[in-house]
Amino acid sequence: MAVGLGHYLTVGAILLVMGIFGIFLNRKNVIVILMSIELILLAVNLNFVAFSAALGDLVGQVFAMFVLTVAAAEAAIGLAIVVIYFRNRGSIEVEDVTLMKG
Amino acid sequence: MIATLAFYVFALILLVSAAMVVTARNPVHSVLFLIMAFFNAAALFLIAGAEFLAMILVIVYVGAVAVLFLFVVMMLDVNFAELREGYQRYAPVGAAVGAVLFVELLMVLGGWHFAPDAASLRLGQIPAGVSNTDALGRVLYTDYVLLFQLAGLVLLVAMIGAIVLTLRDRKTSRHQDIGRQTARSAATSLRMVTVAIGAGVAPGDILRPQPEAPLTPPEPVGGGAGHGGPHHAAEIR
Amino acid sequence: MNWTAAIPEIFLALSGLAILMLGVFVRREPTFLCSMLAVGALLLTAVLVLGGSDGAAYGGQFVVDPFSSFVKLLVLAAAALALVLSLDYNRREGLARLEYPVLMLFATLGMLVMASASNLMTLYLGLELQSLAIYVLAAFARDTLRSSEAGLKYFVLGALASGLLLYGISLVYGFTGGVGFAGMAQALADPVHASPGLIAGIVFIVAGLAFKISAVPFHMWTPDVYEGAPSPVTAFLATAPKVAAMALLLRVMVTPFGHLLGSWQLLIELVSIASMVLGALAAIGQTNIKRLMAYSSIGHMGYALIGLACGTPEGIRGVLVYLVIYVFMNAGTFACIIAMRRRGLAVEKIADLGGLGRSDPGLALAMAVFMFSMAGIPPMSGFFGKLYVFLPAVQSGLWTLAVIGVLTSVVGAYYYLRVVKVMYFDPGVEELDAPPASLSVLATGTALFTTLFFVFPGPFIGAAQAAARVLFG
Repeated sequence: MAVGLGHYLTVGAILLVMGIFGIFLNRKNVIVILMSIELILLAVNLNFVAFSAALGDLVGQVFAMFVLTVAAAEAAIGLAIVVIYFRNRGSIEVEDVTLMKG
Repeated sequence: MIATLAFYVFALILLVSAAMVVTARNPVHSVLFLIMAFFNAAALFLIAGAEFLAMILVIVYVGAVAVLFLFVVMMLDVNFAELREGYQRYAPVGAAVGAVLFVELLMVLGGWHFAPDAASLRLGQIPAGVSNTDALGRVLYTDYVLLFQLAGLVLLVAMIGAIVLTLRDRKTSRHQDIGRQTARSAATSLRMVTVAIGAGVAPGDILRPQPEAPLTPPEPVGGGAGHGGPHHAAEIR
Repeated sequence: MNWTAAIPEIFLALSGLAILMLGVFVRREPTFLCSMLAVGALLLTAVLVLGGSDGAAYGGQFVVDPFSSFVKLLVLAAAALALVLSLDYNRREGLARLEYPVLMLFATLGMLVMASASNLMTLYLGLELQSLAIYVLAAFARDTLRSSEAGLKYFVLGALASGLLLYGISLVYGFTGGVGFAGMAQALADPVHASPGLIAGIVFIVAGLAFKISAVPFHMWTPDVYEGAPSPVTAFLATAPKVAAMALLLRVMVTPFGHLLGSWQLLIELVSIASMVLGALAAIGQTNIKRLMAYSSIGHMGYALIGLACGTPEGIRGVLVYLVIYVFMNAGTFACIIAMRRRGLAVEKIADLGGLGRSDPGLALAMAVFMFSMAGIPPMSGFFGKLYVFLPAVQSGLWTLAVIGVLTSVVGAYYYLRVVKVMYFDPGVEELDAPPASLSVLATGTALFTTLFFVFPGPFIGAAQAAARVLFG
């Protein structure tokens, strides 16, 4: 691999952190939350590909491919649920998850 | 050297677009930045030698997932400005959590090393002399056939799920009933009437289709669904 | 390649597809027929699981051993119970759609794959097949705000948990260079080699799986989703996926990471204590019985985790026995909850149970049995479940866990017994409708199991023992 493993891992870590940050930041906007989750999965894929290249092992790429498949399925279901939620409520704002609602 | 330079350029654009995804005011911009992030991640995949995954990322993510997002963002009539309430309030907490997590990850990943016998545990050494796509194709349908089928089932579940949740059977939508359509014959739909010359047709002899209430707009595309279908059966009777 | 090892899974997948096709082509009301066929498919799969032979297959991605068979049978039983529970309810609530049994079958298939996973990839795909189907089921009453909100919350938090789990998996893969459990165990045989990256990976994996079993601090979704999802889905959610996810946690922690017990034991202990305490305290003020059951299940998972924290075969055996008991008493409780209808409308306040002791003594008795069992009062089965996890804890010197477990059981007994008190001593508002036959039969059966468990615990404990021993190889 032309570029060091550490570089890839750092980019992956920053992407993961941004995804989590995005979830915190857009607590009310579910669509952006779904996009943040896509960013997290992208970080995971970057890790898998980097490790695969560093180890000279194809398994990491196979795994990344399955992750891509599942992520696409997840996006479809997530958006379907957002759509029915919007139909029922007229907004995509989700109440904060209550820790101890009486 | 060039690879390193390219890596930095693509990684920088990737991270900037990721930051824009989560901070953009307009969700449509978020989706567009997401697409940009996917393109740059694909470039990083290419640099690491995963050509097939890079192409898949562009085709599946940009072509399908991001467009799906765009579609939903535009379909839902959401007041996005309202959703940004509390944005200022969450930002410091989110940034703090993110910073702590990032520093921790850096500490953890900084001194990365592999397990001593990691090399011997490799299940699928990258074969020399074949292209990346070829190598993946050789294992995907043989060694990983079980997982490949499972991934197919995951997609099937997603399809069933999306349909069962969102498909609405409206009263006004017209469906093709192939059984009725093919069972229809001239005898059931045509009646020969002998009309005396100059007498015209008696009012009772003209059968018109009863307009359904509420009147349905004609379907623009139906692949010939309506033609000759049950709705039109009475027209010539 | 020994492909026959996966015959139960292949059969279940094919029957799911066949039922889907059949349901599309049957003209009138396919749902009842399909549900019955789905129950039949689950039972036949159980027969195939019983008849299967042990061994690894598909290049070590898939393993069949006493542990996987034990978990599979339990999952299949839980899924069949949940499917029967849904029949009457779905018809009345207008949810009787053909996709319901099909999605349940595919979710169950995912759980079977989880039970047999001996590779991080199989683990992930099984988990996602299960989760995606359940997200849809939670939002199945798509025209009600509650259900779609439950689906949305479950989905968002579940997808986040999957993302974290995956990040952990990627770190573990990067460290060990392999994704197979056997190879990982070999790479990690010497704890000295464990790097911070690996430990971080394990923490992420535990976090992801803790979400699936709704252990504290990843429990936030549980009360809202339990309350919002249609009751039969909640019954399913509270039983089968918990078993599968707990089994996965057991196998992952014990087989590949078993040598690192010192690194993760404290983590599991903390999660266990927090779950027990929160499950006991937060349930006290609840007025909705489904929310009560949510906190109750959080507490129960805390108790089950005690066995894992021991890290001994006895502890794992305790967890498995606990899961068996938990599934049957929970399914029974939900049969009673689903039977709660007044003038055709579902009610779910605890106060609605008032006067049940006089109006429907049978149902009240069954509910009382389950409540006593959950509280852990002998001779009900719940007592033995707790016994089998507390004893190994004491043997391994985890006194704190055992003592906190007993204390929280006492607190928990308060709210379980309050339900019994409401049923027998509070004046009824208005009589509940008579429950349909399927629910009565199911409640009676599970109540008999719960009461009479102490007469014949032998086979269960023997099977759990054999299953637990396999993990320690």
